[in-house]
Amino acid sequence: MSENVYYWQKAMGDKPLPLDLLKLKNAVGDVFKHESDNYKQKLVYNLLERVRNNDQKEFFYILLKAMNKPKENFKELWAELQKSYYVMPEEVFINFAYSVIIDIMATYSGGEKNE
Amino acid sequence: MLKEIAENKTVEISQNPPLQFTGNWFIDAGILGFVNLMEEVYGWDLDKLQEMIIKEPEKVYYGYFPFAYLYKWLSDRNQEANPKLIEKLEEELGKKAFQNNKELFDFVWFNFICNLFKDLWIKSKSKLIYKNEAYDKKNKTKQTIDYKNTQTYIQKIGERENLINEIQDKHQEEIKKILKKRELKKFEHDDLEKLINYNDESISNELKRSIELLKEKHLGIINFLKEEWENNVINQQNFTEKESLFYRIPIDSGFYKNFLFFNNFAGNLEQKDSFYDVIYFNFDKEKILKKIDKTVNKFLPSDEEFSNINYTELSTEPLKKQIGYLFVYLLCFTYGFEKYGNMGYVSFYSNDLEFSYIINKRLKLYKKKIERSKDPNLIFKVTWQQIIDSLVEYKSSWSLENMYTISYQRLDNQTQENVEYIGIPKFQASILLDDAIRENLNDSIQFRSKKFKGNKYCWLLEEFIKGKPLYPIILSHINLALNEEIIPNLPTCLYSLISEANISEFKAEKEKQNGNLFSENYFDNYKSLVREIKEDIRFTSFNASLINQISKDADTKKRIARELFDALKARDKNMFLNILLKNMNEDKKLCSNKNLNDWIFEKIIKNDISFEMYSLILTMNLLRGEKR
Repeated sequence: MSENVYYWQKAMGDKPLPLDLLKLKNAVGDVFKHESDNYKQKLVYNLLERVRNNDQKEFFYILLKAMNKPKENFKELWAELQKSYYVMPEEVFINFAYSVIIDIMATYSGGEKNE
Repeated sequence: MLKEIAENKTVEISQNPPLQFTGNWFIDAGILGFVNLMEEVYGWDLDKLQEMIIKEPEKVYYGYFPFAYLYKWLSDRNQEANPKLIEKLEEELGKKAFQNNKELFDFVWFNFICNLFKDLWIKSKSKLIYKNEAYDKKNKTKQTIDYKNTQTYIQKIGERENLINEIQDKHQEEIKKILKKRELKKFEHDDLEKLINYNDESISNELKRSIELLKEKHLGIINFLKEEWENNVINQQNFTEKESLFYRIPIDSGFYKNFLFFNNFAGNLEQKDSFYDVIYFNFDKEKILKKIDKTVNKFLPSDEEFSNINYTELSTEPLKKQIGYLFVYLLCFTYGFEKYGNMGYVSFYSNDLEFSYIINKRLKLYKKKIERSKDPNLIFKVTWQQIIDSLVEYKSSWSLENMYTISYQRLDNQTQENVEYIGIPKFQASILLDDAIRENLNDSIQFRSKKFKGNKYCWLLEEFIKGKPLYPIILSHINLALNEEIIPNLPTCLYSLISEANISEFKAEKEKQNGNLFSENYFDNYKSLVREIKEDIRFTSFNASLINQISKDADTKKRIARELFDALKARDKNMFLNILLKNMNEDKKLCSNKNLNDWIFEKIIKNDISFEMYSLILTMNLLRGEKR
């Protein structure tokens, strides 16, 4: 797929909604850079569990809670989320959620293997 | 000067050969069959045949062709065909001049074709064992036997019959032994042959003498018939229309039954005229030549069965101007095909006669070599291999052609079995032109399907050419590997999956452009696809292999692979990613590996079209380097 913008159609709306996964990815990468690996690892487990059940409400609850840090620069991700936070069809949500998760994973500083 | 003329002639042939494909595969298969036939009987290759047609078209079609056609008919049925006649025919036709086609055809018919069928005719006439079978219910001589010397003929048959009865009565037990029968039923021609060819010393002297006597009688009949045939047919051509049925050439055909010369009720002269009319395309006389439908060839629809389709009653009249010898080709239709073991009858077809001829010839050469081998897949492999090799060799010219293979298992006047018409799309062909992709796809892998018990091999290249999906086959193949039944063929799987993934993305992209099939850049994109596939193979084979670092323990990797595989089988992207990321999350170093991370994002998460193929690649990488 050459384009990075992913479109989905809201059930009630008539316009296709853009979901820019790459932008989202970059935004996530920026904000979680400074968190500790163990914290992120736990967060990832938590988020994975929610996606598995397609529990969008809980997923966003955990994600927003983790981002609820006004002093740090979360603005870009906030803006991205504001654009795409709707109740999404499952297949769109999966793409969205795993993009977030894999980006958090990408920011691990690469410590010892956690047995 | 002479050299110049010769050169000019070659140029002329190559630029405007008299024998060319018409664009209708059905007629073209016949043209190919015609070329094959002439090559088989006279040893002429395509160039020589073209030359002959330019020089003396009449001699080829009215002289060489009918003889070759019936010569092949005879030798296909394991009958003795005298090869000396071929030489003689070439010699005579070479030096002789004829006033018209009819004279030429008659000359060949009596002097060569009738000569060719001498033995078969004698055999068919000497098969009559019982005198009373020569008469019908009204006690009149049967038409097939009625001719000027009928009485002598029937008398000779009667004498032989008496002798047979005498021997049977006297030596019942011994004859049972010789014929290996428990009881003596009606004595048939086969029994007669067995008896007179029996030369075991153990039989009684009396019987031996009787058999000698019978043999003599039988030879007497054969010599009598031989003389009749030679005197009245070959040399004198001296028989009336009424006698013509007696001298009928004993030929028939399950495939071309509707042509009059194969008809049982046509006498020798009618056979001759009907064959001539077929070549001459004389539809005023021959009803069958008026239209092309099921009566000509079983591949065609019948206008009675499909009366509402207006083209089924396809009149041949307008075709006569374009294709003067149409029915010559239609008669040769079956010779365009070659039998390949379990594949049935196969013909390779493209728009160009020469190209099709070359490939079919190569296939035939290879066939002899591989028939000794016991591997049934080999025939298949070689077939495609030959097509592909020739494609590569003729790179410049082939790409413009459309290519097909046509195959069938059985074809006669009742049934058509497993007829297949497989096109090789340009799209697939252009991808196969790449050496690396082609070689990796040109392999068979084991898989299992619900349709049959046990494992089966599947030739990926063939499926690919047919445009069928490779993913389900590879999925099954990897399943077998997970069950430790086989060692997976990873490079072939990788190439197949990536080719398929890129093709489906390419097609989806096309659809997105408003389904505009013939957009401006359509053909350019085509070429870039091969490059994209190869780049993707490099990119993917490295990045996907990184997943191997997920664990050092082979069993753990296998467990993960099994879980991932099950998710894939259920076509559950969510589950697949969940399992994958959960397992990866245990190894922070692996998670932060940018190459792998980006690849998963790019090829699986973001990809809604071909993520399954990439997911399978990832899964099978976990099986890499497993101890056996």
